[in-house]
Amino acid sequence: MSSEIAAGPAGQPQSAVERLHVAGLHGPTGAVLSVRDLNVSFNTENGVVHAVRGVDFDLLPGKTLGIVGESGSGKSVTSLAIMGLLPATAEISGSVRLHGKELLGLSDKAMCAYRGNELSMVFQDPLSSLTPVYTVGTQIVEALAIHNHGMSKQAKEARAVELLAMVGIPSPKDRLKAFPHEFSGGMRQRVMIAIAIANNPRVLIADEPTTALDVTIQAQVLEVLHAAQEETGAAVVMITHDLGVVAGMADDIMVMYAGKPVETGAVEDIYYNPRMPYTMGLLGAVPRVDVAEKSSLVPIEGIPPNLIHTPAGCSFAPRCPLASEACLDGEPALAPVAGSTLHRAACIKSGSLGGDVDVHDVFSAPPVPVSSFDAIPREDRTTVLQLKDVRKHFPLTKGALLKRRIGTVKAVDGLSFDIREGECFSIVGESGSGKTTTLLEIMEFHKDQDGEVVIGGLSNKQAADARTKSAMRRELQMVFQDPTGALDPRFTVYEVLAEPLQNAGMDRQAIKKRIMELMKLVGLQPDHVNRFPNQFSGGQRQRIGIARALAVNPKLVVLDEPVSALDVSVQAGVINLLDKLRAELGLSYLLVAHDLSVVRHISNRVAVMYLGKIVEIGEVDRVFDNPRHPYTRALLSAIPVPDPRLERTRERIILRGDLPSPLDAPKGCNFATRCPVFAALPAAKQEKCLTLEPPLEPVVPSAAAQALAAGPLPALDQGFACFFPDGELDEDMLVVHDPADRHAP
Amino acid sequence: MLRYLAKRGITYVFMIFLTTSAGYFLAVSSLKPALLEQERIPRPTPEQVASSMRLKGLDPDLSPWERYVEWLTAIVTRWDWGRSPNGAFINAEFGDRVWISTRLFLASIILTLVIGVALGVYSAARQYKFQDRVITSYSYLAYIVPAPIAYFLVQLGAISVNETVGERIFFVTGISTPGTAPGWAQFVDMLAHYAVPTIAITLVGWGSYQIAQRQYLLDNVNADFVRTARAKGLTRNQAISRHALRVSFIPVAQSIAFTIPAIFAGGFFAEKIFAWPGVGSWSIDAISLQDVNAATATLAYGSVIFALGAILADFATTLVDPRVRVQ
Repeated sequence: MSSEIAAGPAGQPQSAVERLHVAGLHGPTGAVLSVRDLNVSFNTENGVVHAVRGVDFDLLPGKTLGIVGESGSGKSVTSLAIMGLLPATAEISGSVRLHGKELLGLSDKAMCAYRGNELSMVFQDPLSSLTPVYTVGTQIVEALAIHNHGMSKQAKEARAVELLAMVGIPSPKDRLKAFPHEFSGGMRQRVMIAIAIANNPRVLIADEPTTALDVTIQAQVLEVLHAAQEETGAAVVMITHDLGVVAGMADDIMVMYAGKPVETGAVEDIYYNPRMPYTMGLLGAVPRVDVAEKSSLVPIEGIPPNLIHTPAGCSFAPRCPLASEACLDGEPALAPVAGSTLHRAACIKSGSLGGDVDVHDVFSAPPVPVSSFDAIPREDRTTVLQLKDVRKHFPLTKGALLKRRIGTVKAVDGLSFDIREGECFSIVGESGSGKTTTLLEIMEFHKDQDGEVVIGGLSNKQAADARTKSAMRRELQMVFQDPTGALDPRFTVYEVLAEPLQNAGMDRQAIKKRIMELMKLVGLQPDHVNRFPNQFSGGQRQRIGIARALAVNPKLVVLDEPVSALDVSVQAGVINLLDKLRAELGLSYLLVAHDLSVVRHISNRVAVMYLGKIVEIGEVDRVFDNPRHPYTRALLSAIPVPDPRLERTRERIILRGDLPSPLDAPKGCNFATRCPVFAALPAAKQEKCLTLEPPLEPVVPSAAAQALAAGPLPALDQGFACFFPDGELDEDMLVVHDPADRHAP
Repeated sequence: MLRYLAKRGITYVFMIFLTTSAGYFLAVSSLKPALLEQERIPRPTPEQVASSMRLKGLDPDLSPWERYVEWLTAIVTRWDWGRSPNGAFINAEFGDRVWISTRLFLASIILTLVIGVALGVYSAARQYKFQDRVITSYSYLAYIVPAPIAYFLVQLGAISVNETVGERIFFVTGISTPGTAPGWAQFVDMLAHYAVPTIAITLVGWGSYQIAQRQYLLDNVNADFVRTARAKGLTRNQAISRHALRVSFIPVAQSIAFTIPAIFAGGFFAEKIFAWPGVGSWSIDAISLQDVNAATATLAYGSVIFALGAILADFATTLVDPRVRVQ
């Protein structure tokens, strides 16, 4: 494709002029990859979808560009268009130049010379991205063989071993012969990175590389990406919806909305001085794990536009609180923000949105709700749920006809905690730590369970008859992770909400009245009750799920990852709603979440689980600000914070390896195998961790505090299970990125 | 592996024993060869019939249980599967029948698999193009048309070829012409007898493999790992043939493994229509001739073939899919 075509359709002289201007500004200064006016559209049954509309950027060698946006904003399509991996039915126009060579319009075969060689990519889902029937070694060697015809077999194998070692896979030589299914998700993503950097690419595109992974594993993989970039000197395009993930890595950020970049600039400009209301909203919508002060999140109302119809004005105008008549008059172009040449925003009001404008005012975030229970001390409130030494062990058997027991999986191993009225209690931990099993055990409510579950004064030990059980179920309701899967697609909202009420024996008039109440309560229009779930957006569906749970006036609502399937801007609205309902209705929540920022924002107390046991428990601010257990410390340090300056200087504990299989759970402390404190201990002290199981004990105020208060102080609301809580951390597991060496070649 | 095989083997032997025993009871209580004897001319007396049956070990006066014990003892101690009402020994007849079925089906099943899988891959790579539509439509047609009708059509075609040429090139029925001189003439005679049934069975058979292979491959063409392979620098076709094909072959390999033993079990329609008296036609004949022992023997044979197929399918899966481990 020639540069004339790259200059865009002849019908838009303005954009062509603008583009020439931009190209003149920083086009030829040695950019490895430069994208101009990239447009992608797909022909679908409903019409032409313009997935990407005019993306421009330049990527300098060794630099990282973060592309941020919600689902459907066109970020993945942009990356696939650059790689030439879109289906043949996609219509692509514009220009993509690698070292000045045009890539758009090249045939599949011609593109193969670049793909995997100078341009490479890491995909989102590591579980499905490797071919299951070939060994990892074969797949790495293949990447080498395609572009290095003269390389000998031994050389390729040696290089594959080197690559695996580089991405941190232990005993790489043996692991070459392993198949993908023998690796965990994090390990497979490392292999994907090894394949991507095999031929020292100039540009590495990472499309949501850590979205499918646990936080601790995410930290490991980001670290590997960082090391890979240093090793190869590649420029990186990091695509993500998580503003925290890119904060520490990126040099420049491009925020995309409805297929268009709406704000671009250096990372500091975007995070500290956003000029486009959408960017401001996104930043305000993310809860912070490092901030104790409670303020409501910024919800962005509405949903992203349908890209079949080209928006008449600014594509964000329908959701923008600042929108005025002028905003609907043509789509604003990306224009430099006053006082900066590289920071550009597509908003006609960017001039008036300086650094001192509070996003909470712009988006009119609701006030922090205050619950009437907040004033009552915790001990004086009634207990809504109590667990006493609950265990769930699964036997692991072998054999087809005659089953032999070869081990036990201790999914939940001696859990005790209680939840008081008006309180949000959260359980956090990596996948496999037993969070979901705990919820299932609570919902099971059977007298043969190992351990006691007391719900609203009813114990499972007395739960012999159906009446007790149904009384218990009325006390406790559940909201599920996937709002789409949790609602029957053939039920109208009315039917969904009426079902629990009919079960409770309400008459028709009362049901109708209650449903109208519920719809208003969760912020949905009451006249939408006759619609089906597929006519609602994800956030609205989750609101329906919440309304269903609240229908029978439960005391306790169990929330299983209630916002993890939602986009950031929608998530904020749901979190605010949950917060409001807790205060207004005096509800208690049991929340299971992997996102610690959400947990910190909404919870009062938190329990950290590791391999079926609580390793630390207590008041949320106390645990998060002063974590005592090394696992909590590692977990907290692994969470990226949407604050570039802080993120770059933060000390990070990178745990080694994955969650061990519960089968080979060690005899002493479960965590010893990955513990950064344990690794730094002298052998004599290590012995204690390996032989004794640390009990969960409350934190006693320090001797100094005792002396100050002139008497024994009561134990604090924090407990942990570790013998050496404040021990030195192993230095190998600590990572700090010195800002000085970041930009060194 | 050996332990797995032994375990599976024991399970299947037990299952085969159960099905065969159940089959024997069913046969012995519903098939009455004595009644058929009485239709002979001159009509034998019931006493004559009974004594002739008793001589062949088919005593109609014994209870089913007594006959079962007798039959089972003979198999276990002497590997003697008994006799037919006409006096033939099952053991002797069996070998001939299996050999005939095998000869009839061997070539055609191999052709069916090779052509079916190859066309499946070819049509998947050209999804919705003209070639794909023609091939896949044909496969569905072959699927729908009852096998006997398709066989007759092929026979008619062969006959018309013979008539056009004016010489008998193809034999549409039979195994061989008796009295052909050995050597070249016999070989040509064999080909002339082979051609029509082989072509007919192949034409009808490949459709299901073509549809399955096409479908499984299309499921994998847009898989994430194919995209990864392309991102490494393979063209789309290379990525499909190196990565998607192998994965899509896993379920197909399983069904192929199940089919292979079926070569030896034969098929009723083909054997009847082409007049190749193999195992398939024997099993049906046994029922119409009230032959308890032959019916049970063919049933037992079918069970063994099925068990072999199942074990082979397991092996095939382990062979092509490294995720499956045999324990």
